[in-house]
Amino acid sequence: MANVLETELKAYEHHRDNLLSTAEGKFALVRGDAVVGVYESEIDAISEGYRRFGNVPFLVKQIVRIETPLNFVSDLLGV
Amino acid sequence: MPSFTSSIPNLQAVGPLIELQVAVGSALESTFKAGAEAIPGPVKALAMIDTGASVSVLRQGLAAQLSLNAIGVSYINTPSSTNVPCYRYLVRFIFPNEVLVETNVVEAPLQGQNIQCLIGRDVLAHGVLIYIGGSNLFSLSL
Repeated sequence: MANVLETELKAYEHHRDNLLSTAEGKFALVRGDAVVGVYESEIDAISEGYRRFGNVPFLVKQIVRIETPLNFVSDLLGV
Repeated sequence: MPSFTSSIPNLQAVGPLIELQVAVGSALESTFKAGAEAIPGPVKALAMIDTGASVSVLRQGLAAQLSLNAIGVSYINTPSSTNVPCYRYLVRFIFPNEVLVETNVVEAPLQGQNIQCLIGRDVLAHGVLIYIGGSNLFSLSL
């Protein structure tokens, strides 16, 4: 995977503890090194990201203490 | 509830395959319209319904065909790897009979059978999947 969203992921990690204390379970919208906002739903955060920034990379991430990986049992995935 | 039914000879061997279209999500479509920009047309793709997939998957490269930029990162576990980071994209799946679902997919390499999408439990969460193995039929209502 390339380094797209690397800055945003670092910014999220930087603000993670504060976000957990104030908005656990909600969805953070991050662009560059700034947490732009926190939203009740994923689609709200995504829609706001497109509205503010257009078709550019941005990060929408649920604010959780432990991130659970997504699971795939099929060997069709080449990773 | 809109639905479609597919008949696939030797369904057991081939699996529940669907020819569908993948389009940009409605939020991005609105952004393109607001900026009077051309909206990338839907891309035809061969998909398989996969009840073993937590979320739906786009084959690597399909997002670029739709001019999509990543809007998230998720970590995935597969039979051979753990905690692999993958980008996420908001798309609409257009199934036969104009059955539509908008969902936040991951992009990952898919190997074999020219399958370009996996339809995972994020989509199935919205509907009813009926698999009639003895008749080589399956039906999806969403």
